[in-house]
Amino acid sequence: MFLLKCQVLSNEQLLPRTYLMWLEAPQVASSVRPGQFAMLRCHDDLVRVLRRPLSIHAVDGDRVAFLYRAIGAGTRWLANRRRGDEIDMLGPLGNGFSITGRSRRLLLLAGGIGLAPLKFLAESAASQGHQVVLLVGTRNTAEQYPIDLLPSHGHVVKITEDGSAGKKGLVTDFISEFAPEVDQAFACGPEGMYRELMRVRGSMQSVPVQVSLEVRMGCGIGACLSCTIRTNSGLKHVCKDGPVFDLDDIDWGAAPVCRI
Amino acid sequence: MDLRVQLAPKNRLGLTLGNPVMVASGTFGYGMEYAGVIDVQRLGAIVCKGTTLKPRPGNAEPRVAETASGMLNAIGLENPGVDALIRDIAPVWAEWRVPVIVNIAGESIDEYREVASRLDGVDGISGIEVNISCPNIEKGSVEFGTSPDLAAEVTEAVRNASSLPLMVKLTPNVTDIGVVAKAVVRAGADALTVCNTLRGMAVDIVRRRPVLGNICGGLSGPAIKPVALYLVYAVSKAVDVPIVGCGGISSATDAIEFIMAGASAVQVGTATFLDPRACLNILVGIEDFMARENILTLSEIVGQARA
Repeated sequence: MFLLKCQVLSNEQLLPRTYLMWLEAPQVASSVRPGQFAMLRCHDDLVRVLRRPLSIHAVDGDRVAFLYRAIGAGTRWLANRRRGDEIDMLGPLGNGFSITGRSRRLLLLAGGIGLAPLKFLAESAASQGHQVVLLVGTRNTAEQYPIDLLPSHGHVVKITEDGSAGKKGLVTDFISEFAPEVDQAFACGPEGMYRELMRVRGSMQSVPVQVSLEVRMGCGIGACLSCTIRTNSGLKHVCKDGPVFDLDDIDWGAAPVCRI
Repeated sequence: MDLRVQLAPKNRLGLTLGNPVMVASGTFGYGMEYAGVIDVQRLGAIVCKGTTLKPRPGNAEPRVAETASGMLNAIGLENPGVDALIRDIAPVWAEWRVPVIVNIAGESIDEYREVASRLDGVDGISGIEVNISCPNIEKGSVEFGTSPDLAAEVTEAVRNASSLPLMVKLTPNVTDIGVVAKAVVRAGADALTVCNTLRGMAVDIVRRRPVLGNICGGLSGPAIKPVALYLVYAVSKAVDVPIVGCGGISSATDAIEFIMAGASAVQVGTATFLDPRACLNILVGIEDFMARENILTLSEIVGQARA
């Protein structure tokens, strides 16, 4: 874990409200695992007192990338950073995804901005010789991530809710088509996607599924206990014990788990 | 230059800090969490997360909400309970140079007494901070802090159960904090922490519901600094024990303001989330100020802003 001031190398709008930012961060780039995140300070005064947790989207040499949606005052501030500006980063944080020793074929399920940590996982897994199928689901074609930035190895399947590009429907509609062929699955998306995965769990046989959770956080390192969730093995903190959990280990109960 | 602070001059054990910069309960876990980010041994003291007799799961999510220059929290005293703290965490503290103060809370006077008695004599624990001011649990805590009589009763129970230096953390959510301060000092408090969070709320206008799972929470951060600063001033005029200023302190200037208003030491809380270096930057800033102003001992400026 490092606390660093990092130079912005680029920060461009890629999709509606969605930005791709590259930072110079050698220590983070050389130690981060797919699924980990960083806490970024999103202003330079005392108006906003909490950092924003963002998944690492890609690593290239000494550089790390974040794919983020500008939805509030903090992420809008981030979207206004320019090349040469400094960003204060605490990271890498959290556990990250883990590919078990015997897994060869991996299924990655990205719902919307949930692609953020999965591109890094896809690239890293492919480079280690895993077979990767990446389902990229968005509302429409305008929100589809540029194909030339998607991992070049492995199989990418585009899915849109309105059918304007690729297959029509939700990522979870295609589970039964792909799940029987894989050893492990990894998902990142809205909570509804995870609940749907639980509903169709039977059609996935016993494929283990890891999901990345997004909840409100204070500190990012397990000190403030803001991001507690209930699991079958007791209370867990998303920032420290997660953000990646086994789908089956989370106590989905009736109340929302991901509240942001 | 002498930055040392004695927070319990009348206690047999005493509570000497190497410097006045402490970290506030609930914002720094048990100290280990930040040990990989900053040198926690340089702190004046660490106050750990509020500890109760039995483990507590805490409140429903969301537990935090950012507000203008501040944040609301309603964690609800999630903690593993005093026995797990003594068994698993205190042995680590025993190896540390930095003093660790255990913040305790309860739903009854008996619970406070029992927690304090179990902490007595445990290696690695330098003091107790009694939380009579948490706004986030259903029963107890803040109620004790709003009544001078109950506040004194809790303080006396803890005083009789433990010989450790005893700080009492007061709530700002009262009409006259001086009355509560006098009551707990009479009941045996060695020092007072002024103050805990201000009760507040936020509404999500899309969901048309309170943002926090607990509906209300405690407001902290720079937004409350002027309020806390005045309360330190008011308490320091009412009682004659060391005061630890707490509430929105984010810079050395903030810390020195609190010290000049009457605080002998300060606690940094919310500022740590924004910048984990804040507490140590504040320490360096205080040293710079003392050097610049030719102040040899920190105690020279305690309360200097009081008329």
